[in-house]
Amino acid sequence: MTITTNDSQVAVPSDTVTVIIDGVAVAVPKGTLVIRAAELLGIEIPRFCDHPLLDPVAACRACLIEVEGMPKPQPACAQTVSDGMVIRTQQSSEMARLAQEGVMEFLLLNHPLDCPVCDKGGECPLQNQAMSVGRPESRFTEDKRTFPKPINVSAQILLDRERCVSCARCTRFAEQIAGDPMLELLERGAQQQVGTAEDQPFDSYFSGNTIQICPVGALTSAAYRFRSRPFDLVSVPTTCEHCASGCSLRTDYRREVVTRRLAWDSPEVNEEWNCDKGRFAFVYQTEGRIEYPLIRENGELRVASWPEAIDVAARGLAEASSHAVLVGGRSTVEDAYAYARFARAALRTDDIDFRARALSDEEHAFLASLVAGSPVSVSYEKLESAPIVLLVSFEPEDESPIVFLRLRKAARAGTRVVSVGAVRSKGSEKVAAEMVWCAPGDEAAALASLPADILAALAHSGAVIMVGERAALSAGALSAVAALADRTGAALAWVPRRAGERGALDAGAIAGLLPGGRPLSDAQARAEVSELWGVDSLPHPGASGDALLARLGTVEAAVVGGVELADYPQDVRAALERVGFIVSLENHHSAVTELASVVLPVAVVTEKAGTFLDWEGRPRPFTRVLRDALTMPDAQVLGMIADAMDRPVGPSDVNVLRAELGTLGPWRGARLEAPRVPVGPRRDGLVLASWRQLLDSGVLQEGEPHLAATARPTVVMVSDATARRLGLTETATLHGPAGIVTLPVEIADVAESVVWVPMNSPGCHIYRDLGARPGDIIRVTAGGAL
Amino acid sequence: MAISETTRTGLREIADRYPSARSALLPMLHLVQSEENEITVEGINVCAEVLGITPAEVTAVASFYTMYKRRPVGKHHIGICTNTLCGLLGGDAVWDALSAELGVGPNEPTPDGEFFLERIECQAACTHAPVMTVDWEFMDDVTPRGACEVIEKLRRGETVRSTRGPVIRDFDATEHTLAFPLDGLADAPSVDSKMLAGLTIAKQRGMKAP
Repeated sequence: MTITTNDSQVAVPSDTVTVIIDGVAVAVPKGTLVIRAAELLGIEIPRFCDHPLLDPVAACRACLIEVEGMPKPQPACAQTVSDGMVIRTQQSSEMARLAQEGVMEFLLLNHPLDCPVCDKGGECPLQNQAMSVGRPESRFTEDKRTFPKPINVSAQILLDRERCVSCARCTRFAEQIAGDPMLELLERGAQQQVGTAEDQPFDSYFSGNTIQICPVGALTSAAYRFRSRPFDLVSVPTTCEHCASGCSLRTDYRREVVTRRLAWDSPEVNEEWNCDKGRFAFVYQTEGRIEYPLIRENGELRVASWPEAIDVAARGLAEASSHAVLVGGRSTVEDAYAYARFARAALRTDDIDFRARALSDEEHAFLASLVAGSPVSVSYEKLESAPIVLLVSFEPEDESPIVFLRLRKAARAGTRVVSVGAVRSKGSEKVAAEMVWCAPGDEAAALASLPADILAALAHSGAVIMVGERAALSAGALSAVAALADRTGAALAWVPRRAGERGALDAGAIAGLLPGGRPLSDAQARAEVSELWGVDSLPHPGASGDALLARLGTVEAAVVGGVELADYPQDVRAALERVGFIVSLENHHSAVTELASVVLPVAVVTEKAGTFLDWEGRPRPFTRVLRDALTMPDAQVLGMIADAMDRPVGPSDVNVLRAELGTLGPWRGARLEAPRVPVGPRRDGLVLASWRQLLDSGVLQEGEPHLAATARPTVVMVSDATARRLGLTETATLHGPAGIVTLPVEIADVAESVVWVPMNSPGCHIYRDLGARPGDIIRVTAGGAL
Repeated sequence: MAISETTRTGLREIADRYPSARSALLPMLHLVQSEENEITVEGINVCAEVLGITPAEVTAVASFYTMYKRRPVGKHHIGICTNTLCGLLGGDAVWDALSAELGVGPNEPTPDGEFFLERIECQAACTHAPVMTVDWEFMDDVTPRGACEVIEKLRRGETVRSTRGPVIRDFDATEHTLAFPLDGLADAPSVDSKMLAGLTIAKQRGMKAP
């Protein structure tokens, strides 16, 4: 379990006290709980409600111990130490032993003996502690209390009330950690039970954590319930592939099929939590996979052998005289590096970009000058101790949920959170964010005229500015952020949404940048890389971003890996249709495979080892989970193509790729200039604001209906004043160049003359349905049929 | 029934009385009950909205306290104390008589919606045991026959007074007083010589707590 220690307290001797537990003296910081002090000595006191990351509540009474001088047993989870305190646990005190045995007997009175069919059976703290400190036999002969079972506290989370021991871990998690107090202890006495309001389910982005911390089997998930026994599972520590938060996960599988994923301990990153997307969205890994290589013949894809498909791919690429490479933002560092190397060394082009989303040249300059290859400067820990965190174009709860949890922890301890944006969202409220109101597109102007108190706070040591990837949509925003950080001295963090973006940037999977943030235009950098790759020369700086997408229509061949065309605001499909030869590395059929000449199936995260760089820039390596899978990672497939092209690029083994990156290391030479894009013109009219919600129509969430049912409803959010002005009541219709979208209206805390819709949710995909991007002027009319 | 604008205004007014708005929840729930005759989902949601807390947090409170009803009470709430002292001194007999008279068991409304019967816990009125409450007004030293007569009078629409003075109105009216205790109706005399007898003797004899 995670114990967050305050280093300064440990370091100063006067702040420690000495206590004697079971005859052994131990010095601990003042204010330490007895149960933690005992843990330091390896003495295990039973517990259910106690959790190091939740406030003490002493609800279950399982941890009663004897404290010399106190007449009655005390709960070790709520009793703080004092100097000279003499504590006796069940190991040395008959009073404590009897008290614990008695409490255990009470807790078991109404607990069913359904362990053989309970999901928790085999990994259950109640089962284990009943064995270790309980009575061997119950004296209770009456009928146990029963409830209809189970009930849904959300579409995903099920509750078997008779199993609950009222420890309040789930309700405290909901309130303290997630900030979603939609789960409560209801009723009283023998009827006390966990529940929700009648018409508001526990639709928290973090709800799955309650299952994991439930010390009995009361909370289970619709996805996993009755699927397997814990002792039949093989567990592998992994890293989450869903966003740039970088959560440690435990992936459990049985017979080569993943059955569930849990948050794994990583105090420096996700502590012990993860989000529901990371926990439940993994069905895509098994369902609808492309199993065999495919080649297009007479307009149709047909199954081919690997040698044939590689041969066709290699020939097609070798014959083409111009190439482009698109890498989705979900690649591992090693795979992204393989794409970067393949593009330059085998295809001899620098026309490569990993940004499968709205982007800008300004962003490229920002990343090249301030982000690529930089060591960790802003960390989760730094967020927690920051006096102020300024968020720009960034909605942590939706776009990087573990950043949100840490910000919430920080805000609860006094960190000031300021959000520059158009919506005071639910997530903003939960971190008590102050708003610097601005419509999308006006961020640069807002940053240039920040209130003096915020500017002063940003100059304090430890201040942090976090900017999201959506800033690329706002001309001048990233330039203004860079200038602000420079002026105030605040530490700067760029937080992309996808897990692979930071890694792909550092691996050089973007035009103009070689691995480690090396500018392709720098002779020294070129020399280092060409020597490592064993090539005579490297291509001239190529096109990225919009220029690359514009050039797509003229290149003869393209290599596309893990890209959803619908994620681009512009019509990339039309450009790709003009490309004569496309090699698609994919695990599911997509708009790209529809156009591809060759489709090469590649491994998903469970079938390969790799590394994600989280938003901090912290490497989050993971090992392969499923050993029997026959799929190959992108790097290996690219290596085979390069060999077949007779332009070998070096070994493709993940360890070698890591070693190569390690050899290069980060660039220490001169960096490219930070962007200086001026503030864009002010626009008149109703401005569209949007971001992707955590649970939406993302392709990696497919096949998990219970999770999808906990997503937030698709609505239009406007301020009360704007709604009145436009006459919006029940529904509103947005009119974009590509079409219209009609959605229910929700009055919310939104900037005037701004209308917000989700970017990619059921019923509203703004690029496809509206043909509009955040920051565009949009026409909205009242009414419309849903 | 829907929560009226008057009630919504009242709820906001109560919330404003407290430095920490959340403290207002108990009287607010009484106000909801005075209009809805029970705690409805809408009532829970309105309280949550006014206080800026979640409906689950309101539900937790509303389901903890037994004075908040989650089914319609009807016109009059009849409580009979059957705790040890009242029970022994006749409360059990009063309960049996009224239960037979009304034809309902504990926590049940009569089919005509006139009465709701509840076994209540100690009301701190043991001096006058057994006690019955009608819409939370005391009927002291009640007998089975006296209790039935109260019911008869209420049925006939006659004026019934609490043994301590106030006129019985109905459940909803009492709930309104609980929400707004400063309406001038809450100050009935509540102490009599019987209640003070022990204190009087102790004073006469100069007795002191050890």
